[in-house]
Formats: sequence, C-alpha cells, structure tokens
Amino acid sequence: MKSRDVFSYSFSAIRLRKLRAGLTTLGVVIGIAAIVALLSITQGLQATITAQLQKGFATNTLIVSTGRSSGVSIIGAGDSGFKLFVNDTQTINEIENVSMSLAIIQRVGYVQFGGKNRTVTIVGVDFAKYASIYSSTFVAESGDIPQSPENDTVVVGKRISDPWKNATLFCNVNDDVEILWTNATARPPKNETYAGHVSAVLQEVGGFGIGPSDSSIYIPISKAESFFGTDECDMIIVKLKNDDTATIDSTSKAIRNAFDKQVTVMSSTAVLNILSSVFSVVQLFLGGIAAISLLVAGIGIMNIMIVSLMERTREIGILKALGMKSQTVLTVFLGESAIIGLMGAVIGIASGWVLANVVAIVFHGGGVFFGNQAAGTGGISITPVLTPTVFLGALVFGVGVSVIFALYPAWRASKLKPVEALRYE
Amino acid sequence: MTAIVEAVNLKKTYMLGKVPVEALRGVNLKVESGDFLAVLGPSGSGKSTLLNLIGALDKPTEGKLLIEGVDVSTLNDNQLAGLRRRVGFVFQFFNLIPRFTARENVELSMSIADIDRAERRKQAEDLLETVGLKERMNHKPAELSGGEQQRVAIARALANNPRFLLMDEPTGNIDSKTANEIMGLIKRINEEKGVTIIMVTHDQRLATQAKRAVQMFDGVITREIVN
Repeated sequence: MKSRDVFSYSFSAIRLRKLRAGLTTLGVVIGIAAIVALLSITQGLQATITAQLQKGFATNTLIVSTGRSSGVSIIGAGDSGFKLFVNDTQTINEIENVSMSLAIIQRVGYVQFGGKNRTVTIVGVDFAKYASIYSSTFVAESGDIPQSPENDTVVVGKRISDPWKNATLFCNVNDDVEILWTNATARPPKNETYAGHVSAVLQEVGGFGIGPSDSSIYIPISKAESFFGTDECDMIIVKLKNDDTATIDSTSKAIRNAFDKQVTVMSSTAVLNILSSVFSVVQLFLGGIAAISLLVAGIGIMNIMIVSLMERTREIGILKALGMKSQTVLTVFLGESAIIGLMGAVIGIASGWVLANVVAIVFHGGGVFFGNQAAGTGGISITPVLTPTVFLGALVFGVGVSVIFALYPAWRASKLKPVEALRYE
Repeated sequence: MTAIVEAVNLKKTYMLGKVPVEALRGVNLKVESGDFLAVLGPSGSGKSTLLNLIGALDKPTEGKLLIEGVDVSTLNDNQLAGLRRRVGFVFQFFNLIPRFTARENVELSMSIADIDRAERRKQAEDLLETVGLKERMNHKPAELSGGEQQRVAIARALANNPRFLLMDEPTGNIDSKTANEIMGLIKRINEEKGVTIIMVTHDQRLATQAKRAVQMFDGVITREIVN
C-alpha cells in the first residue's frame, strides 16, 4: 500500500471519531503547550537577565568583596572578620593588568524632599571612575555628573526622581534634598543627616544589574566616608586592561593572593556561567514537569488506541483478508497516532507561544494590569524566546510520545490472525 | 491442466479452550481453472474452515494445500498476504468498511495492491457497473440494501483480477428474490469472465446452480455431485 494511501486511511479513521480524536489531541496540546510556554519564558528570562548583567557589569571588570557585603555574595566565603578598606584600591592598582579600581561604600537610607520620604540605597563612589567603568549606564538623563563633585553633590537614579513613572516627580535636578541614614551600630542608634544638591538624574537602567541602579542615589566616596563614619568599603570594582579569560583568571588569583585569600573575586563571566547553569537546571526541572503531562497524554493515546483496536478488530480482519500486510496494519495504527501527535504538537507549540507571550505581558505590565502603578521597581521585561531547538524538540517529542505509546496497540493489531479477527463480534 | 487449488489430506484442528476440535479430518479436493464448485454441508461440517484455508486466512494443521502449485504451508506472513491479494473473498455478512462509500470499498482492495488512484477509481466504477450498482456507488453501506451490499462485496472481490473467488454463504443474509439475482450475477461472472468460483452454502438449491458440488460432513468430503 502506498504511504499516501496509508496516511489517508489513517486519517479517515480519525475523522470518523472526531470528538474522541479531538480530546486525545487536546492531551498532547496541553503537554506541548506547557513545555513550549515554560521553556520559552525561562529562555526569555535568561536572555533578559544576561543582557541586564552584561549591560550593568562590563566584561572587563571584577568585583572584590569580603563575601558578606551587600552586593554580590558567595556561599562558603565565611565571616572571618576580614575587612576591605577604601585605600585597598592602591594595593589592587599595583597588580598586573589592572587598569583602575574603585571602592564602594553603600548603606540603606532615606531621601526626604517636599515632606515626602523614599527608601534608597546610598552609594558612595568616585564619580569619574564609576562613570568610566559603567560608561553606558552611569549616564545623566538630565543635569551633569561632575568629574570633581562638591561634597554635597548627589546623583539620583531614575526611579528616585520619577517613582510613579509619570510626570509627577519626587525630586529633580537642582533640588536640595535631605539624606538620612540610621547608624544602628552607635549606642543609642543615631540618625545622621545632611543636605544634598541633586546635580543629575540618571537615565533608566532597567530592572536590575550589578552596576548602577534606578533606585540608588550616588554621593562622592569622600562624603560617604565621613557621613557613614567609616573607611571600610563594601566592595571594590576593578577594571582590567582586557577581558580575555586568561587575564580575568590570573588577575582574580593575584587579587585573592594579595589579600591572603580573604576576599572573593567575581567576574562577569563567572556570574554568567553560574546564571547559565542555574537556568539549565530550572529549564530541565520545568520542562520535566511539563513532560509528565505529555506522558499522561501518551497514556491517553494508548488507551484510545486499545479501545479503537477492539472496536476495529473486524475491520482489521477485512483488511488482512484483502491482502494487507501486517506491517501495513502496524503503519496504519501508528499513522493514526502520529497524526494525532503532529496535530497536537503543532497546535500545542502555537498555544504555548501565545501563552508565553500572555504571561510576558502580564509579567511586564503587572503594574498596569493590577492597578499598582506606584510600584517603584516596575516589571521585568521578558521577551519569550522560541528557539528552533525548542520548536523542533517539541514537535519531535509530541509525535514521538504519541507513536511510542501507540506501539503496543498497533503491534497487537498487526498480529491479529485474519480468521479470528473476521469472526470477532 | 494444473489445478488452481489442490488439497491433499488436509486437516485442521482448533483448540476450543483446552479441547481440540477437528474441523477438517482429511480433505482431498481439486479445483481447476474456470470451475464453479459449491461446497455443501450443514453447520459445523468444516466447509467455512476449508474456505478460510484456501483463502490463506488460516494455515492447515496437517496435509498439503497447493494454490497454483505452491504449498501454502511454506509461505511466510507477507507471502500469504500477497496470496490473499490474488483471491477474491465474498462473505455472508458482506464485511464492507462502514465509513467508506461503495466505490471507496471497491477501491480499498486495489489501494492495498498498490494501484494508482486514477486507475483504481476507473476500475471501481467499471466493476460497480458490472454488478449493476453504478448509480449508487457514492452511497455508504448503511444506505444500501443487503443485496446491494453483497453486490459491492462481489465488485470488491473482483477488483484485483483474482485467480478465483471464495464465497462464504453469499446469499445467506438476503431475501430469496435478491438471492436469485445475486446467484445469476455469480454465474454470469463464472461463465462470461471465466473466473473460478468456490462457494460454500448449506442450501441444496443454490448448489445445483454450480457446475459441480461436494458434500461435506464432519470434516470430510462425503460425496461429489456433478450438475
């Protein structure tokens, strides 16, 4: 029998039982849609986060911390009481391949203006060096970031100036704001405060990142030292002369050695690698859960094919009496499940893609959807990614599962003895 | 002249649960090209079993069955299927595929034999014309009377220019007037087209319309009648 005729015979059998075939297909659709939606969302999320990180964390930079700073922390670094100080940058600057380094002191505090209060991260940095390292993100949208700032100069993140994402501003360039910080280590805890002058508002950076943030304010490092009453820094950012792996590795090692291995050195490549492996696990996990639903659909297909086999035993007898080979009977049955699998996979991929986009819109526009426009941080923009691998994988998986689960009933159908099948009532 | 079908001491034993049932107990039979043989016998005499063996739907337990000189017991599954494509079967209960129209049912046996779509469509129409059913070829079995369904089944059996037709009680499920018409058609096919026919029946009157008849009883041929 020609393959086209086998296909059309299989299709005619499916068409006869539309509702049943439809419900069986629905099982595959749900399984495939779940896989495609979950994978394209996680891949989209990974792409977004990676892009954010690359934007806020230049590849030729290293972050040196004690491992317990408020910036990046790594499990296992331990709390040995080791401290990094602002002038440790001098030690780092002497290491080969280091182009420059800058210390960061940061605390959570408040900004007051016009009788209103906002929680912010107060970051003390050297403006010129910070702007040089984060040249694409530490950029003023309005006003100027001075190279040699006055003591009271303040640069504010976009979300501090415009927290509601509309024309109503909390503060703007040239405003004089009150900066507050509670020194909890003092006995009794003491509120420190000073008046700052906003010289610039940064352009929007995005949801997150290691570099400049939309919800921070930036003050000169010297002011931070006197305001926070310490020269202990939270981290030191190191700019390298180039960003090849060998330089990153050797310099990281040299920095660790310079501080008796008491510091943690993070590179953007290391962060991206960790992130990538975390996402692989997440994808495997989510894909696995979705795959279970497809397996359930597969069992549904097997069930339906066995019922169909019983109903059509006599028909199989007729086909064999007309001279159909056992392999052709097998192909007819496998063809039926393959058609169901293919239809389910195609519809499933399409609906999974639609679902992923709906989720992305809800995720991103969360504030708008739920009337929570005052949300300071805003949503993360995810563009679902449907890679050819996921597309083809879902197609093959959908058809494959359907065919595999139909193997047993199809094999039984092909093994029916014609004389017994014809006698079957 | 070589016999189209030759059975030598043909035996078939079924297991009915754990009880062996001897359906054929040594049948000797020779059918030559152009013959029209009626196999007569009461229910349980083994006539349908004999027909199933000749049609390669089943394998004998013992003895020899030669179809066009080839021993059926030496054939594998695929070769048996190939043999069945060269045999036309007509059943008592028609055995048409309900979801297909009359024409599609006739076409089905040709599509199994790898015949092109256009060719089989034309042949199906010609065959349905031969059995007098051209006008109703786009009707499904449920829309046809018993006699009409059997005509479709005969057209289907003739589809691949079979070496011989095997008919199992072809008029057993239709009224006597239509049965006569069907018998007329069968005789015409035998006489005009020269197709060899082996027909199983329990009806003495139908057997008289064949060229010769054999009487079966308890799994053996008890006598032969030449009409």
